Amino acid sequence: MALTILVLSFASFLLIGVPVAFAIGLSSAVALLVEGMPMAVLFQRMVSGMNIFSFLAIPFFIFAGEIMLYGGVAERIVRFAKSLTGHVRGGLGMSNVVSCTLFGGVSGSPVADVSAMGAVMIPMMKKEGYHADYAVNVTTHASLVGALMPTSHNMVIYAFAAGGAVSISSLIMAGMIPALVLTICMLFAAYLVAVKRKYPAGTFPGWGEVIASFAAALPGLLIAVIILTGILSGVFTATEAASVAVLYALILTVVVYKSMTWEHLMKSAAKAVKTTGVVLLLIGISAVFQHLMSLYEVAELTGEMMASISTSPWAIFLMINLILFILGTFMDMASTILICTPIFLPIAMKFGMDPVQFGMLMLINCALGLNTPPVGTTQFVGCAIGEISVGQVMKTIWPFYGALIAAMLLITFVPSFSLWLPNLMLK
Amino acid sequence: KDFRSSDVHPTDYPTVQAVTQMGKVLNEQTKGRLGVKVFANSAMGSEKDTVEQVKIGALDMVRINSAVLHAISPAMMVPSLPFLFRSTQHMRDTLDGPIGDQILASLEKEGFVGLAFYDSGSRSFYTTKKPIKAVADMKGMKIRVQQSEMWVAIMQALGANATPMPYAEVYTALKTGLVDGAENNWPSFESSRHYEAAKYYSRTEHSMAPEVLVFSKKVWDGLSKEDQQMIRKAAKESVPHMRKLWDEREAKARQVVTGGGAQINEVDKAGFSAAMKPVYDRFVTDPALKDLVVRIQNSAK
Amino acid sequence: MPVQVEKVSFLTRFNAMLCRAAMVTAVAALFGIVFVVVWQVFGRYVLNDTPTWAEGTSLVLVIYVTMLGAAAGVRDAGHIGMESILILLPEKLRTKFEIVIHALVASFGVAMVWYGTVLGRSVMNYKIPSLGVSEGINYVAVVIAGVLIILFCIEHIIAIVTGKEVIPSWH
Ligand code: NA
Ligand code: NA
Repeated sequence: MALTILVLSFASFLLIGVPVAFAIGLSSAVALLVEGMPMAVLFQRMVSGMNIFSFLAIPFFIFAGEIMLYGGVAERIVRFAKSLTGHVRGGLGMSNVVSCTLFGGVSGSPVADVSAMGAVMIPMMKKEGYHADYAVNVTTHASLVGALMPTSHNMVIYAFAAGGAVSISSLIMAGMIPALVLTICMLFAAYLVAVKRKYPAGTFPGWGEVIASFAAALPGLLIAVIILTGILSGVFTATEAASVAVLYALILTVVVYKSMTWEHLMKSAAKAVKTTGVVLLLIGISAVFQHLMSLYEVAELTGEMMASISTSPWAIFLMINLILFILGTFMDMASTILICTPIFLPIAMKFGMDPVQFGMLMLINCALGLNTPPVGTTQFVGCAIGEISVGQVMKTIWPFYGALIAAMLLITFVPSFSLWLPNLMLK
Repeated sequence: KDFRSSDVHPTDYPTVQAVTQMGKVLNEQTKGRLGVKVFANSAMGSEKDTVEQVKIGALDMVRINSAVLHAISPAMMVPSLPFLFRSTQHMRDTLDGPIGDQILASLEKEGFVGLAFYDSGSRSFYTTKKPIKAVADMKGMKIRVQQSEMWVAIMQALGANATPMPYAEVYTALKTGLVDGAENNWPSFESSRHYEAAKYYSRTEHSMAPEVLVFSKKVWDGLSKEDQQMIRKAAKESVPHMRKLWDEREAKARQVVTGGGAQINEVDKAGFSAAMKPVYDRFVTDPALKDLVVRIQNSAK
Repeated sequence: MPVQVEKVSFLTRFNAMLCRAAMVTAVAALFGIVFVVVWQVFGRYVLNDTPTWAEGTSLVLVIYVTMLGAAAGVRDAGHIGMESILILLPEKLRTKFEIVIHALVASFGVAMVWYGTVLGRSVMNYKIPSLGVSEGINYVAVVIAGVLIILFCIEHIIAIVTGKEVIPSWH
């Protein structure tokens, strides 16, 4: 009864346009009233849900990404990627994929990735005769790699949602190969469409330019290396590595590149504060939602229901993928992770999936949702930059979508993509 | 009515089993009128969260470690003091007797009804590079401890570098060498798989900080005297059951870790115990606490 | 061409100032957290003494960053939400619903103030480990954010009624 009220009120608040965090808070309040439980528990859980040391990595990764975005790192990465793949047919499309992957390693999220890369790449591609729908689709899809690369704050959220069953460090290791798989699938899609549409090929700028542009981009790219080696060598915890990433980004853009102005620094800090406010408030408020779902044993009920449909791990994993995908289409990444992990992780583990691999699956599914209406955050940003409607982009999304789904299936059914590296490094 | 109780441990953990057992007893005695539903696996939040929930009456009961109550009631600090109990038996006798009752009663004015003490075994250090045999071995070692003033003070007294970090990150930190060691009881050393990363388990047995079962005063005051008596009795009766499960669990964990290559060694306990004077000087300043400590130290040998 | 002097209401000016102050505080706190955690690394390696206050301090600061950032997000419409089904409704009805949404968010703000106070008082006597500050300090942030959210929602409602837009104070 109270569960029905919780779900129905949540859905209606969401539908009329109440922001997700407040929709969760208000529907939980309604459920607590019905249940006759003290309302104070909502705010107690909200504060304690944000008050976790590992979560400091979230503002840090977001802040580092903003500094990189405003501090001139993005342009240098694009120049390097262009020198590498610009001469292949549809070369700018491939450069875009490479840029997004590289920038994904240093920025915190796909949305940051689209805004940074899209702002540079999409106008450039349009000028060179590429269609806007292609430019937007390549950027928005390749940017999803950002969720799997070392600076992903969504990994921190997943580690929390998994209830301490996984360490952030092993997730950071685990993301590398799936990111590569995703990138390769994207490169394929970008190439195939380019051939079909007879997009131009640039000329190879020569190894001199490759080396010069690499040298310019390298200091920015090093941030991912610092995080990875810092954790692996035992110098930092994941949270500390994230704080060092901010310090490094500051020194790089202010002292080395000298491209950071005071105004831009304040702007990036202000944006980081707002994003942190939005994301951490959501996390805090989701804690009470989870509290209620534990109370009503939603995970157990869902598990029983799924097991009654099939007991083959393959079918179960496909079902989980499908549910996550559907939820991901109308919720944002953090909410989907926070709400679905406690429900589906125990089921996936029961059917033999490692929690680290499940994390990768979760991240890719949520990423897929970022490019699907009704709430497709990266898609909105990409379309805004490309000055094109979501409808037009959706018409030619299929090759890219196909590539994403191929990557997702590979990562679902080949555990070693996710587990080989962390096992090698941390066991 | 089923009282809602919380526990951070999994369903098969001795504390969860004991509280479940207590619920069964209540259920039989009241012919189904009262019972207990345990929410295991941190479903209701961390130990600290759930204590606050019990205080405001959002939860009826919670099982937590006594360390969580340090900030709430100073008397709770006493059973956590390093090298206070001479042996497990000494700890059990003390906490079952009037001293234990006195400490539990100290929670009443803070909004909690202390029902019973459960065991959490004894905690020892485990390290990655070399075993600890005497205090001098700990000098400069980075040891992961829980975030509390007392733990930091203990590490300072031993000359080690206290490094607080989340429990989930400790395995990686041991593997990569971010910390040189950590400390815990047998079952946690085993279930966390830390023994794969830190194979020297040095039996310092420095702390026996017990687990506590508390009830919400807010809910309690609404119960009849008879029900209160019945709950108290059922809680106390669950203690021997818990200890039996605990001893089995500990023995099994020991078997697993030694089978997994852990090396266990004894330590110069007297030396460690002597090094704890600054900790006692700093935390046991209140005359009432001093009296408790002296009574425990002098209780039946 | 005559210069149009837009008459700005007292609430708008007051809120813009509050929102700016909240953002400045939150930005300072964000830099503070970065400093504290970097200092923790420095302390462990260079001073061989891990500062034990670092964790507690950064956790208090992050609550302030979050609560102030979240409140500013309410004023500047930064929170993630679904594209509402209200676009299907006629303009007039939609405006009414938008007022309802802001009223709902404001009611959450009221609850933040009320229960933030209740909880703050309940933990007032407990100290944050190795910081010596009352746990109540976290709930002070909740109360402040609650007040800000209420004010910002009222401003939005007035803006809708009078057909104006709330201009973000910092973007
Ligand atoms: Na990233
Ligand atoms: Na979506």
